This record gives sequence, structure tokens and C-alpha cells, in this order.
Amino acid sequence: MIKKILAIAKQETSENLYYRFDLALYIFNFIIQITVYVFIWLAVYKNGNQILGMSFEQITTYYILVVSLSPIIDWGINETLGNSIREGEILKELLNPISFFCYYFGIRIGEMIEALIVGVITFFICSLLFGVLPPSGIINFLIFLVVICLAVIVVYFFEIIIGMIAFYTNSVWGIEIFKRSILNIFSGMIAPITLFPEFLQKIANLLPFKDCIYTPISIYFGELSNIEILQVILKQCIWIVALYIIAKIIFNKAVKNITINGG
Amino acid sequence: MALIEVKDLVKKYKISQKKHGVVGYIKHLIHPKYKEVTAVNNISFNIEEGELVGYIGENGAGKSTTIKMLTGLLTPTSGKIEVNGIVPNEKRIQNNKQIGAVFGQKTQLWWDLPVIESFKLIKKMYDLSDKEYEENLEKFTKILDLKDLLDKQVKNLSLGQKMRCEIAATFLHNPKVVYLDEPTIGLDILVKENIRKFIKDINKEQKTTIILTTHDLKDIEEVCDRIILIDKGNIIYDGEKENFKNEYGKHIIAEFIIENKSKNITLETSEEEFEVIEESENSIKIKFNHDKLTVMDVVKSVSNYCEILDMHIQEEGLEEILKEIYRGEIIND
Ligand SMILES: Nc1ncnc2c1ncn2[C@@H]1O[C@H](COP(=O)(O)OP(=O)(O)O)[C@@H](O)[C@H]1O
Ligand SMILES: [Mg+2]
Repeated sequence: MIKKILAIAKQETSENLYYRFDLALYIFNFIIQITVYVFIWLAVYKNGNQILGMSFEQITTYYILVVSLSPIIDWGINETLGNSIREGEILKELLNPISFFCYYFGIRIGEMIEALIVGVITFFICSLLFGVLPPSGIINFLIFLVVICLAVIVVYFFEIIIGMIAFYTNSVWGIEIFKRSILNIFSGMIAPITLFPEFLQKIANLLPFKDCIYTPISIYFGELSNIEILQVILKQCIWIVALYIIAKIIFNKAVKNITINGG
Repeated sequence: MALIEVKDLVKKYKISQKKHGVVGYIKHLIHPKYKEVTAVNNISFNIEEGELVGYIGENGAGKSTTIKMLTGLLTPTSGKIEVNGIVPNEKRIQNNKQIGAVFGQKTQLWWDLPVIESFKLIKKMYDLSDKEYEENLEKFTKILDLKDLLDKQVKNLSLGQKMRCEIAATFLHNPKVVYLDEPTIGLDILVKENIRKFIKDINKEQKTTIILTTHDLKDIEEVCDRIILIDKGNIIYDGEKENFKNEYGKHIIAEFIIENKSKNITLETSEEEFEVIEESENSIKIKFNHDKLTVMDVVKSVSNYCEILDMHIQEEGLEEILKEIYRGEIIND
């Protein structure tokens, strides 16, 4: 089964690589974005060299990591899935000899590889331009990667659920914007979550999005204890199971009741 | 036991009756109103392994709905379907492994990649051995003339080229049953003939059971042995194509080349049991029921009013028969 998922991922990646020019544009855009952040924080840090316990180097590293990680987390398949449902292509996808969730997971990994290429190149160019702090240790770096992998599975099921809304409405556009804003705020993409007011921090702790960007970066910096790391991984696993069950229920219901366009 | 068993199959669509405007929308949320449309109304049939069945009917007759239920994509409102012992909509994945399907213009090919890449992925997804894959690929490439297409990006193919590749993709994993829903729609004659030949060949060689829906009765005439005719959700004929013609096609069309016409034949023969379809100075076309009249009866009648130089007799084709059925001229007994 894993072999099949990887075959689909490879297919999706080679299809995406037909748009290499797009990838170059994304990288360019990300570098500009990081440059703007760096200059804003440069102005903020002019008077003191510590804000909320973070040095200028730390905040620069934080934003370079945020922007480099963001495509892995927030490019997803909800749009692909929504279009496929609307245009009836889903007929074909439902006829695959592997389950719908596995098929789309393959597509998601394919998208992730593309995002990874963009992210890694952005990261390297920016670390040359602005300098980054290295990870606090090899073990921490490995855990950082594990948490990101789990985060991709978490957001994958969110994307599936949002994409499936297209079974019921004709557009997933509105709900997708909503998902994106929630993800942006609570993952720490806009600002480190420690800068948030207390009640927002509490909400962020319950939702799984914090562990997509903010938590892995904390682990990169070596700020979490072993117990805290275990808690994070456990929380991610619980979310994965919960979201899987929800997605499965919606999917089964949709496939039973919904008539598919076209044909 | 037949390979495909369909018993008392019914599909009703619920269509929501949304009113316009915000008030209507809210009313709908609170008290949704639905209208029911019966797309398939209590049909039953069995199909044996290796059969090649033409599933025909007018637009909206319920063909696609039936095919979607057979593939497990739609849940029947009531009734039973088994394909090779599997209930398709309950064991979808298991069923998918043994079937292939084409739905009009929907494609399973990867838009931006060369065609061959889509085929390779199919090989992996269905666990085909190298041998099976190579054999099929070679055979299909030959019959469907794909040699120059395999390395082209799908988005650069014409409609006909795409459909040929799509058909190849559908049969690549040696499916037991293949459903083809309007595979020839919008294609030119040459491509149509190519695809017909492919369907016939594979059915014969591989014993693949094939169900074909189509508008184009030439498809049926050339390819299928058996016809299932569906009208407004009901099966009105199920049997061999030849029997169908014998049962319904009792009309003969005779065309006469004439000269020295003395009178308007259409008017003069209005009491007779045949029908003049076309009349001109030197030709006349007549349709008659072969049970009631013989060719000689007609010749005698016509020769009262002119000299007959030549004559051409033709049995009614499938298309004319169906038109009559749809117009209600032939009543099924
Ligand atoms: N998704 C749907 N929702 C409501 N009615 C539908 C839907 N699909 C088909 N129908 C109706 O069901 C009937 C049969 O349609 P279909 O099976 O597509 O016919 P065919 O393929 O023979 O042209 C038609 O009256 C059509 O309007
Ligand atoms: Mg149809």
C-alpha cells in the first residue's frame, strides 16, 4: 500500500514539476516576505536586544523557519479535491483500486515534495542572506522533522474534510479562506504564539495548528522538555485519529447520499 | 450464476425545491421540500461472463444512472446488484479491482504528463506483472494505434486521441467487467470505428464482459450481440440484436425508379396499407409492413400508375425501429 501511495506521490510531483517557473516565483516571493519581516524586526530591535526573551537572531531564524515551513503545511489538497468533486472527476478517483483517502494522501505527499523543494531552497538562500541559528541538537532536529510529518497528516485530514464540503455546496472558496486564517493565526505563522493575549494562547494550545509550525520551531530551538515533546506527539496522534474518524464518517455519508455531477 | 445479477433495481433522485431569494432559502432550510424523480424503475437482468451488451435508450432514459449503480458509485434506492458475487456499493474497492469504466469525457489520465506515465501508474496501482503489462500495452498500442501518442502530454491530445488512450487505460489491468458510458460521443467516424474494433477484439480474446451505452446505434449495430433497451427507467426490450430486429423491424422500405407517371401516387393509394414516404417524377419510396403485404402487392399497386424501371428493397435499420418505438408507433406486447 505504501508503495502505491508513493507511486501516486511521484506522479503528482512530476506533474507539478512541469510548472518549475511557478516554483521559482514562490521562492522569490518567500524571500521578499522574509526580507520584509527581517527589516521590521530590525527596526523593533534597534532599542533593546531582547524582546519577550527572544534575541534578534532568534526572531530572524523564527521567521525564516516559518516561511520555509509554511508551504509544507498550508499548500494542500482541499482545492484539488473541491474541484474534482465539482467537476465530476471524482467519479474516476472513486474507481481506483485503492481507497480514496490513500489516493489523496499520495497526492498530498506529492504536493509536499514540491513544497519541500521550495521550502529548503528558501531556507538556504535566506540563511546565507540573513544568517540563522543552527538547531539545538541533532536529536532535537530529528524530533522537529517527526513533528512536522505528523503535522502534515493532521492538516491532510483537515483538508479532506474541507474539500468534501464541495459535496454539499458548490464552492469551497469561502471555507478555505477561513481555514487559512485560522491556520495562519494559531500555527504561529503571523507571530510567535507567546506574543498572543492569554485567552488566545489557551485556544491555540487546544487546537492542533500550533504543533504545525510554532511547536516544531520551539523544538528546533531546544525549548521543550522531553515530557513536553511526548505530550505534543500524543496530542497530534489523538487529533489524527479524531480527524480520521470525522473524515471517514463524512465521506461514507457523502458517497451514499450524494449524486455525482456528470456522466 | 450469472456474472452480473440485477434484481428489482430502483433509483430515485431527490431534487430539492429551492425557492429564490433569502426568504425562500431560509424556508428551505427549515422545511426542505424535495421532488422525487425515478430514474430507474424496477429493472432486472442477468449478464453472463463474456457478453457484450448494448445498453441503449434516449437521453435521460436512465442509462448512466444504471451504470453508476453497477460500478458502485451510486447507492440504489432499492433492489439488488451483484457483480461476480460482490455488492458494488458495499465493497467498492474490492469491486474496483475487477472492473474498468469510461464515463463520457471524464479522464483518469494525468493532464500534464506523457500518456505512458499514466499507464505506468495503473500498472503499480493494480499490481500488474511486467509480463501482463507489456503484453497488453503492445496489443493495445497496435489496435488503437497509440505508438505516436504515448510520449505526448495528455493536454496536447485531441479528443479522439485522448479517448483512445483512455480506453486503453481502462482495459490495461485485465478487468473482468468494463462499463463504457458513451465512449464514442463527439468522436469522428474513424476513431469510432477504431474503438469499436478494439472493443470487439478484446471481448473476443480476453472474454471481458462489456456493457456499452451509446447514442450512436452504429456502435450497437456493429459491436453488440445483445441489446437492453431502457425507456423512462423501464426495460422495454432485452434480448439478441437479431431477434430485436425480427420482432420490431417488420417494415420494409422499397424504392422504385419509375417513368411515365400518370397520377400522383400518394393520393391515389391513400387507401392502401402502405405508406409513401417520398415521391417525385421518377422515383417513389414506400414503407410497408411485411406481415400484411408482400413486395409483389406493392409492385402491382404502383404499376397501375407508372412504369417501374428498377427497384431497391431495404430492411429497416435499428435506428428507424427505435425512432418508431420512441414515437409510440410500435406498441410492445
Ligand atoms: N444527479 C441527479 N439529480 C437529479 N436527477 C438526476 C440526476 N442524474 C440524473 N437525473 C435524472 O435521472 C434521469 C436519468 O438520467 P441518466 O441516468 O443520466 O440518463 P441517460 O444516461 O440515459 O441519459 C433523467 O431524468 C435525469 O434528469
Ligand atoms: Mg448518460
